[in-house]
Amino acid sequence: MIEIHLYGNLRALVSGSHASEDTVLTIEYIEKETFAQLAARLDLKPGDLGDCFINGNLAKADHMMEDGDRVGIFPFNMVLLCGGQHLKGHGYTREDVDVDHY
Amino acid sequence: MSDLSHKWESVPKDYETLAGRAFTSAVVNREVDPTCHPLREYNKFVISPGLLAGTQAPSSGRMSVGGKSPLTGGIKEANAGGLTGERLARIGVRGIIIEGAPPKDSKDWYSVVVRKDACEIVKTNDYAGKGLYELIGKIWKDYPVKPGIIGCGMAGQRLLKGAGVFGNNPENADPGRYAGRGGLGAVLGSKRVVAVISDATGGKAPEPKEKERFDKGQKALREALDKHAVTGKLTNAEGKPFGGLKNYGTNVLQNILNEAGGLPARGFSSGRSDTAAKISGEAVHELVDKTKKKFGDAAEGKYAHACHTGCVIRCSNVVPYENTGKLHVSPLEYESAWALGTNLGIGVLHDVAELNRLCNDIGLDTIETGNTLAMLMEGGLLKYGDGPGAIKALKEAYEPASPLGRLVSSGAKTAGEVLGVTRIPVVKGQALPAYDPRPIRGIGVTYATTPMGADHTAGYTIAAEILGIKGTVTDPRALNKAELSKAFQASTAYIDSTGYCLFIAFCVLDNDAGFKGMTDSVSAFLGKEIDVTQYGLAILKNERDFNKKAGFTEKDDRLPEFFRTEKLPPHNVTFDVTDAELDAVLKGV
Repeated sequence: MIEIHLYGNLRALVSGSHASEDTVLTIEYIEKETFAQLAARLDLKPGDLGDCFINGNLAKADHMMEDGDRVGIFPFNMVLLCGGQHLKGHGYTREDVDVDHY
Repeated sequence: MSDLSHKWESVPKDYETLAGRAFTSAVVNREVDPTCHPLREYNKFVISPGLLAGTQAPSSGRMSVGGKSPLTGGIKEANAGGLTGERLARIGVRGIIIEGAPPKDSKDWYSVVVRKDACEIVKTNDYAGKGLYELIGKIWKDYPVKPGIIGCGMAGQRLLKGAGVFGNNPENADPGRYAGRGGLGAVLGSKRVVAVISDATGGKAPEPKEKERFDKGQKALREALDKHAVTGKLTNAEGKPFGGLKNYGTNVLQNILNEAGGLPARGFSSGRSDTAAKISGEAVHELVDKTKKKFGDAAEGKYAHACHTGCVIRCSNVVPYENTGKLHVSPLEYESAWALGTNLGIGVLHDVAELNRLCNDIGLDTIETGNTLAMLMEGGLLKYGDGPGAIKALKEAYEPASPLGRLVSSGAKTAGEVLGVTRIPVVKGQALPAYDPRPIRGIGVTYATTPMGADHTAGYTIAAEILGIKGTVTDPRALNKAELSKAFQASTAYIDSTGYCLFIAFCVLDNDAGFKGMTDSVSAFLGKEIDVTQYGLAILKNERDFNKKAGFTEKDDRLPEFFRTEKLPPHNVTFDVTDAELDAVLKGV
């Protein structure tokens, strides 16, 4: 199973959710699924997403998911307060990533 | 203040380009004896609006205060929004230096009232000993010109080291615009000054030297800010939530840092909290919407609230009481919600807002006081998670004779030592803010090496660390933590001097036109090209110089031992940056 914590407008994926409580969605683990495929399974497009985390580490599109992972998914407007979005390399906050540093 | 007199001085030539932090740190380094007692007559309290305060430039109304810190024993600058920066700039005041002190046996309290071409030191004994919510209301009645107000509350008047410098917000509804850190409220208290009141009647916006270039620059910056997902507009063209800061404030970070495993919970013992969501920016947003629906026009809760006139980022908020919709506290920032919430294991939004309101009323820095309350918990006087207990302990600060009241107002180091705690999260005597330095080591380097004592704003490497980014260096793998911290510390010092809010950095590092807009507006205002890094390093040099003369050595640039020995879950890492790497950060500066 994969435990997904949803934030901001993405909480709407779980009916009856509240911003003041954890919104957790548990879904089946699928072998050889990447993070991008997992997001697609939730019907989320790259442009919908901000900074996301897998077990506390920044999620990359091609990251291979593992059974039991904890995933935090933030919408496009919830990101670490920073500059340099284009250098993040996860391909979500900006689609025209020129260099992937990680 | 020794003879209750004042004099006007023209800005000396070598101060022409200096404002904000550059001004306060230059004055303190040149004029204050580094070995003096910070709470006696030889220390000075310096105020300076940022360079562009009062102009049309977006989010440029910040103001700095500085002096020798009673908390760290070193140089200190703290800055805030509010009204004072803009008011002083409009009447052409680059800085105010409050020096000397009334005779030892003096029992009187004073306020400094500044107007266009006039200054008065007024005896205001009726301003002392009051809660600050009441005081700012009284001052606006006594001076019905909507003045800017900064000053110290009870904690500063009692010379206690947790005291911040409060400021009124644009509506004068809350004294929560704090230049909070370093105990500078106590320095003002030692001058027996309760309030500095600035009246801008008859003033006008400062004139840039190169008007056309200035206008073009500030407009480019404004456009970049509006478009960015962090600093941008409240809603998009379809009316859906857009800008992260306007919707959720800085407290958007509560949930993000929690997912990243870098949110220090329960006295820096875990990087995750199970109650983060309850006190998050999202929870405040939901509460504001709920009370608006219930109380209609009578509801006072807000997000996208401006901390100073002309702010376009508007990351401030007004947290309402759930049962009345009236203002409970404004703002509730990430750092405060963390310090008084997650850090104490408290996950009840009302309790966290109440603790923040008490800090605002008493005149205390929220970060320092949250860490101080954590020391009470580490030391066994309170239990982690006990919101009502923490509120009761903090309310003791209203009682002048209460030893516990004095202790909670005295900062984490003092409280921790009194209570036999060995895990005291301070650097140079100042308590750590809301990012654990073990998983986020670059910020740990900033905490350790900044002349300010543990301070995240001195070199905000968080995103660069966690996400592997950095403004001007294109491949972050080639960049070590030390260089990262130095680069950020220098550019931060520059921004702290311009009057621009540090949060414009989130946007200008992403948008070349915005970055150029920032530097163009500053250079055009002065009619002189200013190099960001050189300007910033010159400030750091002043600050390091003062600290060296005050007796600081490399040994002061260290984190407490427990960060090196205790692993932080969930990443299970310690702070492993070597001493040699720390010493390399500002070597030669």
